Amino acid sequence: MRLAAALLGLCLATPAWADCPLDLGRGMGWVVYSDHYLMAFRSDPARIEVGEPFALVLNVCTKSGAPAELLAVDAQMPDHRHFMNYRASIKSNGDGRFRAEGMLFHMPGRWEITFDVRAGEESERLTHDIILK
Amino acid sequence: MIRFLLLVSMLALWAGGAPAQPLLDWTAEEIRTVRQHGPWPPPPARDPSNRVSGTPAGIALGEHLFNDPRLSGDGRMSCATCHQAGREWSDGLAKGKGAVDLDRRTPSLWNIGYLHWFGWDGAGDSLWAQSIRPLLDPREMNGGAARPGELLRSDRALACGYEKAFGEKPGPDDERLLVDTAKALAAFQATLVSPRTPFDDFRDALVAGDRERAARYPLAAQRGLKLFIGEANCNLCHLGPRFTNGEFGDIGIPFFVRPGEVDPGRLGGLARLAASPFNLLGKYNDDATGASTRRTRHVQRQHSNFGEFRVPGLRQVGRGGPYMHNGSVPTLEDVVKHYSEVSPDRLHSDGTPLVRPLGLTTEQSADLVAFLRSLDADPPPAPAPAPKSLCP
Ligand code: HEC
Ligand code: HEC
Repeated sequence: MRLAAALLGLCLATPAWADCPLDLGRGMGWVVYSDHYLMAFRSDPARIEVGEPFALVLNVCTKSGAPAELLAVDAQMPDHRHFMNYRASIKSNGDGRFRAEGMLFHMPGRWEITFDVRAGEESERLTHDIILK
Repeated sequence: MIRFLLLVSMLALWAGGAPAQPLLDWTAEEIRTVRQHGPWPPPPARDPSNRVSGTPAGIALGEHLFNDPRLSGDGRMSCATCHQAGREWSDGLAKGKGAVDLDRRTPSLWNIGYLHWFGWDGAGDSLWAQSIRPLLDPREMNGGAARPGELLRSDRALACGYEKAFGEKPGPDDERLLVDTAKALAAFQATLVSPRTPFDDFRDALVAGDRERAARYPLAAQRGLKLFIGEANCNLCHLGPRFTNGEFGDIGIPFFVRPGEVDPGRLGGLARLAASPFNLLGKYNDDATGASTRRTRHVQRQHSNFGEFRVPGLRQVGRGGPYMHNGSVPTLEDVVKHYSEVSPDRLHSDGTPLVRPLGLTTEQSADLVAFLRSLDADPPPAPAPAPKSLCP
């Protein structure tokens, strides 16, 4: 709830972000942002199971309203210093919408997902933690 | 009150029930974790890349082929020579014995239909592709790629079984018949689901909140289970109903095959997978949706794959053995000793190691073994009846 309010504030404060579609359907997902980027994503299927492949459906926006590119999505377990055994491939569906296919978390615990995004010349890495039980 | 309890427990004894023993305290978190190791049995496995998967005619043909030594080069060895029903679908040896001595142990085929990577190194991405390898491998059955075709065309019963399963008579294309043979073999193997175990009864009772039924599970097994999902962290890798994440790990088992020669494990498996004309990206995949190719398309080779082997499932583990990819650990007690004492030098990890010397007490080790043994069906699975004739 508090997050939603904060996000609403954020969006209202920056006009370009107000257009950024954060709802990816199904009324669920995560939101990550930095000074320049705002990103919403959800998993498909909705529940990530250990050892089962899944995809991420993403929306990437920039503060300036310039088109953003999603370059790579990866994930690692920082506590054990290992990455996924799989490499996600990214498909652009236009208008800042992307699908990262071929993710698989093979252990329960904390996974840090990294998103490499770029708009024009500058690129940035956003991260988000998921705890898988 | 005490006298009443005494009376109740005496009555229970008298009624033939097990003497009441306490149930350990299980937190909500622990119950949630235990729950994930079930339910058992799972629904029957279906493989969309294999059009005869789950079909009665495909399964029947596969069972006959599984037991048919004519598929081998010298006509003396069948799949069942090494994967024996009475030995948990393995052979009880440290390393397999084919046309020559092999470098790895024959894995049990229990619950094989639920896997996604096959072989200790995961070189196979489908059960049928994995079933081609022993047919061709000169070190195993050494049958040659044309043998299944010749057999299917010349043997009347098999030809009839083939037609029932695949809807046409065996044709002239030997490679296609090799693949179809493997697909029937796979259909049969996917039916090998291990029976329910004392652990399953406990798990179901615990989840249902039935304390009385849960308390029938021996205390040592309860303590061992707590260790397994708790302090010892075994369920990082041995998770889910089959007690494996289906992926690969390095637990510090030496991988020297002979002096100067190593088994590269997963790293070699990925190379073989990519080179195989029978992988799921090839033309023999029957799945038009492409969903079955996701793992194969996205899997990536990493340095850390060197010396990794597939995490084995643990059902029926106590009735198997010797253990590990090279059969180098003789008993379950020795496996637990390995996890208790493994030298950190053998583990190549720079983060919080997934496996570390646990330093278990004698009692804890015994508890862990008691838990592992509760993953064996009791009574043991009945021997399979002889297969019915293919075309009566
Ligand atoms: C000479 C003994 C031998 C024979 C005969 C044999 N296998 Fe195996 N099997 C093995 C060994 C050893 C492995 C492990 C191979 C590896 O990891 O490289 C294995 C692995 C397998 C696996 C993978 C199991 C897993 O856990 O991933 C399957 C499936 C399998 N065999 C099926 C068959 C079929 C079907 C046949 C007959 C066509 C057959 N085997 C014949 C010894 C044998
Ligand atoms: C890092 C993942 C990982 C963890 C954690 C782990 N295991 Fe394993 N386990 C494996 C792998 C991989 C193998 C096979 C190794 C090989 O063959 O070289 C294995 C093998 C085994 C085997 C032998 C099975 C067979 O059929 O050969 C048993 C039993 C076992 N583990 C029990 C345990 C117990 C008990 C614990 C906790 C103390 C544990 N494991 C923790 C990955 C793991």
